[in-house]
Amino acid sequence: MLRFSKHETTFNEITKNMNISIPDRSEYLKTLAQSGQKIMGVLPALYPRELLWAFDIHATEIWDPPGEILHANAHLQTTICPIVKKSLEFILKEPDIINAGYLFPHTCDSLQNLGTQVKDLIGVSLPVYTFYNPKGSFNKMTTKYYRDILQNYQLTLETIYGPLNPEKLLAACVLSHKIDSYLLAIQQARMTDHLAMNNLDYFKLMRAQEYLLPSDYLSLLEQVDILDQPSESPRARLMVSGILPPTSEILRFLDELGVGIVADDLLAGSRRIPKFPMDTPVSPLDYLTDRFFVLPPCSTRGGDLDERLHHLSKLMDASQAQGMLFDMIKFCEPELFDHRLLVKTLREKNIPVLTLETELDSHISGQDKTRIEAFTEILFEMASA
Amino acid sequence: MSIRAELKYKIMKDYGAPALMVLQDFKRRKPRPIPEAFGPPLESNKRLKEILSRHYFLSRYTPGVKKVAWVTSGAPVELLRAFDFYTIYPENHSALVGAKKQGADYCGIAEGSGFSQDLCSYARIDLGHMLSGKTPAGKLPKPDLLFCSNNICQTVLYWYKAIAHELNIPLIHFDAPFVTTEQTEADINYMAQQLQDMIPILERVSGRIFYLNIFEDILKRSMETSKTWGAILDAMKAQPAPMTIFDAFGHLAPIVSLRGLPVAQDYYHFLMDEIDTRVTQGIGAISDERYRLIWDNIAIWYKVRFLATFFAERKMNFVTATYTNAWAETTGYLDVKNPWTSMAKTYGQIILNNNLKHRLDLMKKMIKTYSVDGMVMHSTRSCKPYSVGQFDLRKTITADLDLPAVILDADIADERVWSEQQIHTRLEAFCETLEGSKHG
Ligand code: SF4
Ligand code: SF4
Repeated sequence: MLRFSKHETTFNEITKNMNISIPDRSEYLKTLAQSGQKIMGVLPALYPRELLWAFDIHATEIWDPPGEILHANAHLQTTICPIVKKSLEFILKEPDIINAGYLFPHTCDSLQNLGTQVKDLIGVSLPVYTFYNPKGSFNKMTTKYYRDILQNYQLTLETIYGPLNPEKLLAACVLSHKIDSYLLAIQQARMTDHLAMNNLDYFKLMRAQEYLLPSDYLSLLEQVDILDQPSESPRARLMVSGILPPTSEILRFLDELGVGIVADDLLAGSRRIPKFPMDTPVSPLDYLTDRFFVLPPCSTRGGDLDERLHHLSKLMDASQAQGMLFDMIKFCEPELFDHRLLVKTLREKNIPVLTLETELDSHISGQDKTRIEAFTEILFEMASA
Repeated sequence: MSIRAELKYKIMKDYGAPALMVLQDFKRRKPRPIPEAFGPPLESNKRLKEILSRHYFLSRYTPGVKKVAWVTSGAPVELLRAFDFYTIYPENHSALVGAKKQGADYCGIAEGSGFSQDLCSYARIDLGHMLSGKTPAGKLPKPDLLFCSNNICQTVLYWYKAIAHELNIPLIHFDAPFVTTEQTEADINYMAQQLQDMIPILERVSGRIFYLNIFEDILKRSMETSKTWGAILDAMKAQPAPMTIFDAFGHLAPIVSLRGLPVAQDYYHFLMDEIDTRVTQGIGAISDERYRLIWDNIAIWYKVRFLATFFAERKMNFVTATYTNAWAETTGYLDVKNPWTSMAKTYGQIILNNNLKHRLDLMKKMIKTYSVDGMVMHSTRSCKPYSVGQFDLRKTITADLDLPAVILDADIADERVWSEQQIHTRLEAFCETLEGSKHG
């Protein structure tokens, strides 16, 4: 596998305290595609990345590609969330960096339909795959079914790429397991102030897994310095919930204010990492099945609300977060339904809550800035009390 | 079960409900004048109203007699019937609220309590009802059980979860994997197993035992009823068509919410007879049918009368719709000998749980077999699974079949979304194109 250190890519220094750099997404992927790497574009959010890795396919995720939404407007209504629109805009450009097709995991109604719209109506030159994620409360039967889905997906890939090498799949699972272990440790360090990293850099690091080769991502994680002693605590401690981390502008603004995001409940963040460390994989399919079922509760999987509340409360306790920021993507039904109960429950516990609505614009409005400032004032008061 | 409650229920069923019908009849003495553009109204309308009023009326006497379940329109309700649940369909109820132009009011209650305005209006109306107790049906019983399936959308799962949490009652969810190409054996087995695993829970909640023979009878009845509904829709191929799709939106209610019960079966036989007679006698739903249209998506409940009149006055009749067809399309898969797998096939493949290639082919077929001249698509703010993809469906159908089409941006039940000016402009332009295309 390629290591990013060999690429001629732009490196952005992400933290002053650590000597880590993260390659620029588009430069990195361009270099990778030019080197002959098979790259599949994957829409949000849950999919068995390890299976793709075992077929030497790099999964690069498409959440919020930059650029204006122009052509997608001819295909989608105004009331569709910006993630779906931005993803379609990206797909319509038929970018060279994607050469192995697109994968649409079953996440929500909009993405479900977008998958078939792209495949059956719009038509793209590359293959379009789908992957169903079971919904609701899970039991043994769901576990069996999920395993069947994995096997069927493997068979689909085999018809194109030939028989799967079981050793490669095991190696992919081991790699995935290592990445998860590091991420869990980093998250833990973040919650307890053992990580000297600002908000912006932290989420850059988290999101780099969306496009880096797993081996490259792992070596990045290996460089992260987890402190022996806790560093200075932020002026106020915040947890964030939603689909994506807040935009860079908001993260920067929070950094300026001295507010640390110490825990997250993000679909593009901790909801994709097992709740607790798993055993080292021995049997890949068992491992992949187990991994899906030990992911934290998520609105898009339609799980039990009490379980979600319990999980959030545990995270808030462990990180000593004083308040919750809900960063809601406009028109995101799964999140909007749960949101009311989560807010109500937190308020009943006297936990300050701020809800922002985003259409993924890069700028931060004056009104949002004022609301964030007012909210952080409350947190500061709590911290000093 | 309390004897007093049961007695009260029986009295209301035998005497209270008929008395209510007489009262309603009395109130209805002066029917609204029918615009000239329409043919004679269906006799069945009166019967339909009676059935629905009676169903809602009796529901308030169910506590202590029958367990009440709130059910989604695509859920395999036959299983619940085997336990004699009294079923209420929140989607139907929300449509009723919408038709009475009260949607914004109920939505406002839900929004005021923290639910976003961007959520499906059926859900917001229902949540508004749950939080306030308000209903145009007088009074509705609280559910003992919630039963939903994501074969129509994931929305219902989030929505029912919210109710289950608020009311602290059990929720049974039937997970129906989306059909991207075709159902796999694993999908079918998964669904069939879920259905069987529901039995002990339903026994516990209802306090009744499951008997396979009773269930099979219900299944047979359900199949037969859906077939009759399909035959009624088929009869709309006649020229002139014996009813409009706006009529069918109303006559759809029993197949959605009373499926599996004798009352629905009898009702559709009655309607079928009337439709057959109209076809034989050449009686059309509009007085001069010159253009035949297809409707895509759920009705705009608060504008049904307006739209029906607008089109009838232009000699245009809606003769088919993807929406009304949904309760007839897949019932052919039902098989009493294989109840579980056949239900998995029937309920797993309904239009909203199926890919857009399937929808495209189906619409093309309907356009051909119903001799359709034009297409009206309702792009509804509420419903992502029905609306995402419509722009490309329209593009492909227009190009392949050279069919005039228009998209109306509106909502199913929240009348605040309606933009009179924009809709008028679009409709007028569409009618002009349609007239031009047929005569040009
Ligand atoms: S933001 Fe919400 S609606 Fe949009 S793709 Fe993600 S889960 Fe679906
Ligand atoms: S209108 Fe659409 S989103 Fe709303 S309940 Fe019906 S199918 Fe679901």
